[in-house]
Amino acid sequence: MRREDERKTTRRDFLKKAGLAAGTITAISLVGNVRSGETGPLKVGLVGCGGRGTGAALDCMQAAPNVKVTAVADLFRERAEAAKKRLNEQGAEIKDDHVFHGFDAYKQLMETDVDIVILATPPGFRPDHFEAAVNARKHVFMEKPIAVDPVGCRRVMAAGEKAKELGLAVVAGTQRRHQKSYIETINRIKDGAIGDIAAARAYWCQGGLWVVERRPEWSDMEWQIRNWLYFTWLSGDHIVEQHIHNLDVINWVMGTHPVRAMGMGGRQVRTAPKYGNIYDHFTVDYEYPNGVHMLSMCRQIDGCANIVAEFVVGTKGSSNCSGNIWGQNPWQYRGPNPNPYVEEHKDLIESIRKGEPINETQAVAESTMTAIMGRESAYTGKVVTWDEMMRSDLSLAPKEYKFGPLPVAPVAMPGRPM
Amino acid sequence: MRRLCLFVILILSGCGISWISRGKPHKAGPFGSYSQEISGTLVKFEMVRIPGGTCEVSDPSSPGGKRKMKFKGFWIGKTEVRWDEYDVFMYGLDLISKIKEGEETGEEDAISRPSRPYGNPDRGFGHEGYPAIGITFYAAEQFCNWLSRKTGRKYRLPTEAEWEYACRAGVLPPGPVDKKLLDRIAWFEENSEGKTHRVGEKEPNPWGLHDMLGNAAEWCVGMDGRPVLRGGSYKDPASDVHPAARQYQTPEWNASDPQFPKSKWWLSDAPFAGFRVLCEE
Repeated sequence: MRREDERKTTRRDFLKKAGLAAGTITAISLVGNVRSGETGPLKVGLVGCGGRGTGAALDCMQAAPNVKVTAVADLFRERAEAAKKRLNEQGAEIKDDHVFHGFDAYKQLMETDVDIVILATPPGFRPDHFEAAVNARKHVFMEKPIAVDPVGCRRVMAAGEKAKELGLAVVAGTQRRHQKSYIETINRIKDGAIGDIAAARAYWCQGGLWVVERRPEWSDMEWQIRNWLYFTWLSGDHIVEQHIHNLDVINWVMGTHPVRAMGMGGRQVRTAPKYGNIYDHFTVDYEYPNGVHMLSMCRQIDGCANIVAEFVVGTKGSSNCSGNIWGQNPWQYRGPNPNPYVEEHKDLIESIRKGEPINETQAVAESTMTAIMGRESAYTGKVVTWDEMMRSDLSLAPKEYKFGPLPVAPVAMPGRPM
Repeated sequence: MRRLCLFVILILSGCGISWISRGKPHKAGPFGSYSQEISGTLVKFEMVRIPGGTCEVSDPSSPGGKRKMKFKGFWIGKTEVRWDEYDVFMYGLDLISKIKEGEETGEEDAISRPSRPYGNPDRGFGHEGYPAIGITFYAAEQFCNWLSRKTGRKYRLPTEAEWEYACRAGVLPPGPVDKKLLDRIAWFEENSEGKTHRVGEKEPNPWGLHDMLGNAAEWCVGMDGRPVLRGGSYKDPASDVHPAARQYQTPEWNASDPQFPKSKWWLSDAPFAGFRVLCEE
């Protein structure tokens, strides 16, 4: 609690502090017997005003009393304005001078007096934004994945350590970690309900997602960012952008990350230029330190078999990690399953108000790196190890962020050095 | 109450012969049927003729109330709309044969198609042959519009009166159904194992329609103009799966949709919401 107060004191300027004094008395009398800080007002800034970012901002406001979005930032002005309008209609208090746009909009937002920032831009920008948030002493909710390459992953890991030292809370959008049915099941698995884990499977196979057709007035950079799912430097490819959820569940169950991966994949159906340079399917054999293997499959092809799930098999039974245990200790979760997209913000805010900040950076960074390791194995056709990833200088970020020409990187060809 | 039960039992035993189709069920309904193909694909589905007539249908404006209504003949889906048809609509599979491989140019027919779900809309219950679920009323209507344009026939959602008339088929009461009979004709909480099932596995009603009760609940246009889900679903207990069962959408039905604005096509938390189509004569 104390650490929390000090933090705020150091970053707020004197004038504001003085101005707050009168208001503080009212606040205390209003909250009655609730100890100060527990429901004190929290201001939220949203970076990345798409459907998910706007949804996350709403989820955050719904998660606890006295939480208001007061600032928004997006690369595109119309996106930021639309989010401001929508969120203000839902009870946010975003003033015109707290609506930022452009590549540096996030920096301006970090300079406002928000307590929490929501980072929901395409993942390629996440390392920059997360570092800036930690440097500005903000609590963070960040969408998954948190990077698209090993360099970005390690930057986020380092910033996560710094956040820990500073007493900042960090929650990631791997919402299964906040979903009752998963939490209850995985706790039981960890308590031995299925014995020693022998094998795991993770799937995200579905049809294709939305595509943004290019308009003649858009530069390469603008089109790629608007159509970001299909460019590895922005999304990390769908194994990183989407399948990370399932990989994260198995990492959670295993309590660690895999040490190596051998994967394959390709681009069989989504071959048109509008699909950028990502693959449409991957299969990866991951190996954990104790020799346990995880089969991972992900696909985004219309009209094929769909499955989004995780399974673990143990010496005494098996589980879907999300409510069912079969075998020697059969069990089914029958309790409530509150909306995990709200729960994750509830947990974040509670931890801030209690002064016991949770920090999920390392877990989500490891799961992101797990996905990147699988992708790189499929892209190169080689076995890729965790140690190689932790040493890799692979960075996909463009030389500079500005609207203009940006050739699409070639589609990865396994077995052929790029 | 006892009198009502007796009445129901009498009705059911009286029409036992017409209900139980001896041996193989009618391939077609007793009043005729046709097969609707979807050009550009191999997908087709059955439509069954429902004759004109009158029926005292349940009245949503007063509990236990009835409203005598007259119906013109119409055609209605023998089953709920399956993913087989819905995928064609959603993914534009009917366009693919027209498009040169790898050089798609997008929509050619300017029809509004569902947004791409981020996840698996069939929930792992099953796909080919299973009812399309998690569908909004708007999406169900758009499917009908697309199908009409595609086929030149006039498809739409049934009104709830038409739906109930077809569901009861002259034999079922406008209220709870004997559980033994229900088990033969419907998937509901006690027999569904928590999931939808392939359409047409249970016995049809005397007019040749499958799964009117249970499995997916079905979108209709309510008497008051509001969208209403009729018939109950695989998630509802037997007591809530009957010809007068109604559900109206609540905020819970898409609470965990992580986007804002929430999808107008998909109900993230209503895996029980499906539909069947009606074709005017």
